[in-house]
Amino acid sequence: MAAEDADTATFEDIDWDAQGISTLGVSRAGLAELLSYLGLIAAFVYDYTWNTGPLVFRWDVLSVEWLFIGTLIAIVFHAVIPLSQKPRLRAFYWQRFKKNQVAVVALGWLAVMFVVGVLGPLLIDPPTTQFTNQSVPPVGMSTTVGGVVKTGTWQYPLGTSAKGQGILTLVVYGMRVSMEVGLIATIFSVIIGSAVGAVAAFATSVGRGRIDELLMRYVDVQSVFPDFMLLLLLTYLFGSELWMIILLFGFFSWEGIARTVRGEALQRASEEYITAAEASGANMLYIVRQHLIPNSANSIIISATVGIPGFILGEASLAFLGFSDPTTYSWGRTIATGQVNLASAWWIATIPGVFLFLTVLSFYYVGESLRDAMDPRQEVDGGGGL
Amino acid sequence: MKWYIVKRVLWTFVVMWIALTLTFGLLVASPDTGQTKSVMSCSASGGDAQQCREQYRERQNLDKPITERYVNYVTNMATLNWGWSESRSQSVMAAISEAWPYTAQYAIPVLVVSTILGYGLGLYSAYKPYTKADYLGSFVGFFGISIPNFWFALVLIILLGTHFEFISTYYQSGIPINQGWASMANITQLLIPSFVLLTASLAWQMRYSRAQAIEQMNQEFVKVAKAKGASQWRLMIHHVFRMAAVPLTTSFVSSLLAIFWSGSVIIEQIFSIPGLGLMTFTAITEQDTTLVLATTMITVFLAIIGNLIEDVSYTILDPRIDYGDR
Repeated sequence: MAAEDADTATFEDIDWDAQGISTLGVSRAGLAELLSYLGLIAAFVYDYTWNTGPLVFRWDVLSVEWLFIGTLIAIVFHAVIPLSQKPRLRAFYWQRFKKNQVAVVALGWLAVMFVVGVLGPLLIDPPTTQFTNQSVPPVGMSTTVGGVVKTGTWQYPLGTSAKGQGILTLVVYGMRVSMEVGLIATIFSVIIGSAVGAVAAFATSVGRGRIDELLMRYVDVQSVFPDFMLLLLLTYLFGSELWMIILLFGFFSWEGIARTVRGEALQRASEEYITAAEASGANMLYIVRQHLIPNSANSIIISATVGIPGFILGEASLAFLGFSDPTTYSWGRTIATGQVNLASAWWIATIPGVFLFLTVLSFYYVGESLRDAMDPRQEVDGGGGL
Repeated sequence: MKWYIVKRVLWTFVVMWIALTLTFGLLVASPDTGQTKSVMSCSASGGDAQQCREQYRERQNLDKPITERYVNYVTNMATLNWGWSESRSQSVMAAISEAWPYTAQYAIPVLVVSTILGYGLGLYSAYKPYTKADYLGSFVGFFGISIPNFWFALVLIILLGTHFEFISTYYQSGIPINQGWASMANITQLLIPSFVLLTASLAWQMRYSRAQAIEQMNQEFVKVAKAKGASQWRLMIHHVFRMAAVPLTTSFVSSLLAIFWSGSVIIEQIFSIPGLGLMTFTAITEQDTTLVLATTMITVFLAIIGNLIEDVSYTILDPRIDYGDR
């Protein structure tokens, strides 16, 4: 593997493992990734057929969490490992990214959200209904609820809901839901969208325009359905478990990525190296996987980052309307429960909303700054954003 | 160009037919929640359960073979005979015609204001990129697209509703009927809902038009016009705005429609405005499948027609399009 230090600068780092000419050839990292997925599937099958108690320690892995672990594996193998192996590339992008200071702060916020969202629910007990601690205000404040004066304590730093659940605990559990929704749905839409876009572009470049026409016409038809309405309709017709909502999000919102990748890959497909690969006998799958998708990676990453906040907001809106999974602690659902006692207990509806707002805002800022850092067409002095 | 427009209109009908077929497929594939509910309420009022089920199936034409149902469904939808709403005990068309003015009264003004302001501000930021004004604009844009509109509405209710007595925090549907749609009382009670919807759509159009305009400003034809001595104003209006006015992708209309539709469902639920959004919401909670489908189809049809208008106006505004290949 190519792992030199950055001091001994070289012209080109070639990953010889990846140069094996075979459609089904797998590199070492690819093999490790495949094994991780297989291990995950095995654990899933074991948990659903033989195992009755919690799988690990006290943690009973639920349906969405399986998908989430799979998503994390994909992120490790396709973002973390490649970046850690290329220190010069990392330094280059980071230098351009950090020009936008707000985006750096936003990235920090998202990192905290991610870590707390993943680890928090493992360490903190789920919120429980307690009728002794209903509608306690945040620490240092006091209000009168139903004739009784209540003062906030450090036991519940952000107060409690009308059912006596700690708002802080609800917020931490909501982080997990938002991260799951954003990341899993994005992974699915990226996989489908980039595959469709790259295949469509490649089909045109080899004179099979009909495949392109068919695929992109379908994309047109699908984009006609307004996402939110489609989702309302589908959750109405098929039920509203969280994993289902996430998959529906993923399967019905890849049109943008498909269009972007197609545009990008059309340019790439007319390049010499594609002709060379074709001439040496590479088939369509190989060219799409080895050349077209990796070379469109920048636009894929950018549109993926911009897609995440949309999914998070969409799930929160659904949950607010009461159409989301009633067993999960989504921020939207917490806000909806606070709507009833808005006048007497303002903190229930507002505090989770602040977290939701800041998370979505951070994703947009990070996406914008990534675009400035990675898109060569955006070469403008001074960088973008605030 | 004529042939292009004819082809485009024909394609619109094909898309409508595909959309109808897809929704029919969804309907057949899904468990009928409306049936269970209708049968339960019917047998609760003293009817025989079996008979109730048959009555419901007959009313909804579920007893016919699937091909006949499909043909019936498509012809009914095409002839605007959209069926019977169980929860409202009226025809779907009557329900829609009752509800739409409540939505249109705030959605249309918001659409007009946000388009004019959004494009104006977006073009201005593109004209002076990376200045203080542009940064302020981009912050407002980010703020608008990031703030969850249901949360924003609740915060405004807390902040304004408790301090300003004249702003009502829920909608009284009697006011437009008794005092007129354009009465002061009706307008003030629509202020908060309109403002919430405005922030989202304004921000979205601002960011969109800025991106479009910056993209256009790097084009050759702008450089040529500049080299020939066109003034800044002429450059922006004649060359950049003309191209940015009709956005590049075909997703513009449907995205805007999505903001309005999802926004109206949320806003009308919060403020209890009896418009199309609230109708969609109650149709889902009451499990009235016919009405849910109808409200979905309205958005789909609007999006299809919007796309058609967009594509046709595109050919008029952009002189470079080659009609041969589409």
